[in-house]
Amino acid sequence: MKNKILSAVLCISMAAAMLTGCGSAAQEAAPSAEPAQEEEAPAQEEAQPEAAEEEQTTASEANEEGGYELALVTDLGTIDDKSFNQGAWEGMEKYAKENNISYKYYQPQEGTTDSYIETIGLAIEGGAKLVVCPGFLFEEPVYAVQDQYPDVHFILLDGEPHDADYNYKTNDNVMPILFQEDQAGYLAGYALVKDGYTKLGFMGGMAVPAVIRYGYGFVQGADAAAQEDGVDVEIMYNYTGAFAATPEAQAMAASWYQNGTEVVFGCGGAVGNSVMAAAEEAGAKVVGVDVDQSSESDTVITSAMKQLSVSVYDGVKAFYDGSFPGGATTVFTAANDGVGLPMESSKFEKFTQADYDALYQKLSGGEITIQNGTDDSTTADLTLAKVKVQYVE
Amino acid sequence: MSVIYFIFQQTMFFAIPLLIVALGGMFSERSGVVNIALEGIMTMGAFTSILFLNLTGGVMSGQGQLLIAIVIAMITGVVFSLFHAYAAINMKADQTISGTALNMFAPAFAIFVARIIQGVQQIQFSNTFRIESVPVLGSIPVIGDLLFQNTYITTYIGIAILIVSTIVLYRTRFGLRLRACGEHPQAADAAGVNVYRMQYAGVIISGALAGLGGLVFVVPTSTNFNATVSGYGFLALAVLIFGQWKPVRIMWASLFFGLTKAIASAYSGIPFLNNFGIPSYLYKMIPYIATLIVLIFTSKNSQAPRASGVPYDKGAR
Repeated sequence: MKNKILSAVLCISMAAAMLTGCGSAAQEAAPSAEPAQEEEAPAQEEAQPEAAEEEQTTASEANEEGGYELALVTDLGTIDDKSFNQGAWEGMEKYAKENNISYKYYQPQEGTTDSYIETIGLAIEGGAKLVVCPGFLFEEPVYAVQDQYPDVHFILLDGEPHDADYNYKTNDNVMPILFQEDQAGYLAGYALVKDGYTKLGFMGGMAVPAVIRYGYGFVQGADAAAQEDGVDVEIMYNYTGAFAATPEAQAMAASWYQNGTEVVFGCGGAVGNSVMAAAEEAGAKVVGVDVDQSSESDTVITSAMKQLSVSVYDGVKAFYDGSFPGGATTVFTAANDGVGLPMESSKFEKFTQADYDALYQKLSGGEITIQNGTDDSTTADLTLAKVKVQYVE
Repeated sequence: MSVIYFIFQQTMFFAIPLLIVALGGMFSERSGVVNIALEGIMTMGAFTSILFLNLTGGVMSGQGQLLIAIVIAMITGVVFSLFHAYAAINMKADQTISGTALNMFAPAFAIFVARIIQGVQQIQFSNTFRIESVPVLGSIPVIGDLLFQNTYITTYIGIAILIVSTIVLYRTRFGLRLRACGEHPQAADAAGVNVYRMQYAGVIISGALAGLGGLVFVVPTSTNFNATVSGYGFLALAVLIFGQWKPVRIMWASLFFGLTKAIASAYSGIPFLNNFGIPSYLYKMIPYIATLIVLIFTSKNSQAPRASGVPYDKGAR
């Protein structure tokens, strides 16, 4: 009998192990369709969130009759998440401070469409004229509220409003913002090959659209540079399936480095930290993602960035200038400085600022087209001349 | 050959934390207290010690800093496990429930405190602890490559813990009494053993080892701590069962788990394994399937301590 109880307990514990294992994954899986999640670019400057908190209190004190004109409703994260929420908050805060406008953030009780709509309503009751909604999860809530509050304006990051059946509709009071991550990936891939690296790796988090775009751009950028230089490039390619730092990710990166890979693009939040750990061990290099990650490890050679806070700042500014670009999706690309590499902190030896500027010019001018479909994630649908991709399941 | 060394070194990164934590679980269970809280204790141990590494980052470095962190991790584990001990031993609570409570509490606490202290939940640390090659020993052919290159001091601490555990459990009066409490506490009590004290000792040792295991788990595999040990505490429980509550078998079990996990993650960078074309899922399944099979064949004749999980009641016969 006791044995039975014991085995039951142990079974539960094993099940629990799997649940916790998946639990954290599931938490992240919930917004799996949310490119924002991949934004979980880890800690960078610790001072910023503190500053943000201080601002929060000053903002609260600034409570006047009109309430808070600018509102940000967070998704699953908080405004110090080093990710979408923080990026959006910083952009909004910057404009608000410059122009002395009251602002506040609201955190929904739970991550459901109903709860988001309720919180947006709360923000509007609190006097909000412009509501910033960071993340893919706000597609449905914004679809609903754009009709409900036609006088209020919305900025939706990384998504376009649609209903539960994926009928898309963007009213004039909504500004959806998307990024072309493939261009950032392209810049990184191109720069690495130009700098003399020929054995690369891409380790993504979950295969969500933003991650896939980064990866596809990375491969194609490497291919373009390889064709120009006439070298053969090999790329190891994998999605770890989570945005967490695990020994598995570390071991995989370590095995790639062991097998001769020189640089790995750690493209999935904390996955990058495992890659950095492996790179430190092997004395190899890493490409960071979303924000400039050079402060996290000396192994970071460059970072494929997208300008979250700039995009929100521009949106808020346009709203106050009376030129709110509602009704159509704004895509941040090289053409409007929405993506890029932080050249001042990059550790390239041959790839110069001039090379970068020339390439950036071509990207923004539309001379380079990047295949960025996200239906297939295995790179099998890419036609590559000089790059051999080894896709790892 | 270098591939074999590489796999072995990676195996150690997986196996050593599992070994340490499973040995901790062994002490607790052999004293008669099921310790499902291993996961939570690992998280707490990793949290405080990584926080220490973070705070002293610019001031200290190297093995001295790591050794202090180890002590901190163990103390944290002890303190945290005392909650479990009090609930399970004094209050005679259901041990699964109090363990689960600790598991749920630990990551929440780590995130909360980290946010208060530094604003974000990820705690950075710089890894200055890796030993490229142990002097003299590292240059021994084969063995030097396997055991004394690209390693951490924690690997040797893990091996030392294994040896000490085996001796303590089987060769000391304390070990005998501990085991007696896990098998038949009433009989042990009748023989004059203070069962409560023994069970406290078991849980405290498990707390110290699990806390240490948390640190050992995080250091080689990341550059920050994000309030999770990825289910390795639970995996250590599986190792404990696989090892049938016996130190040497636990070592083999953790090496086996470590090896399959290392191969599952690293095969893509190893040409001859990659050429087999076996999907990684299969490698990832192996430890779990093996545990199930072992459970099936040994459940009739399980070596589990008889009184494990049963609150000790002095009045019962």
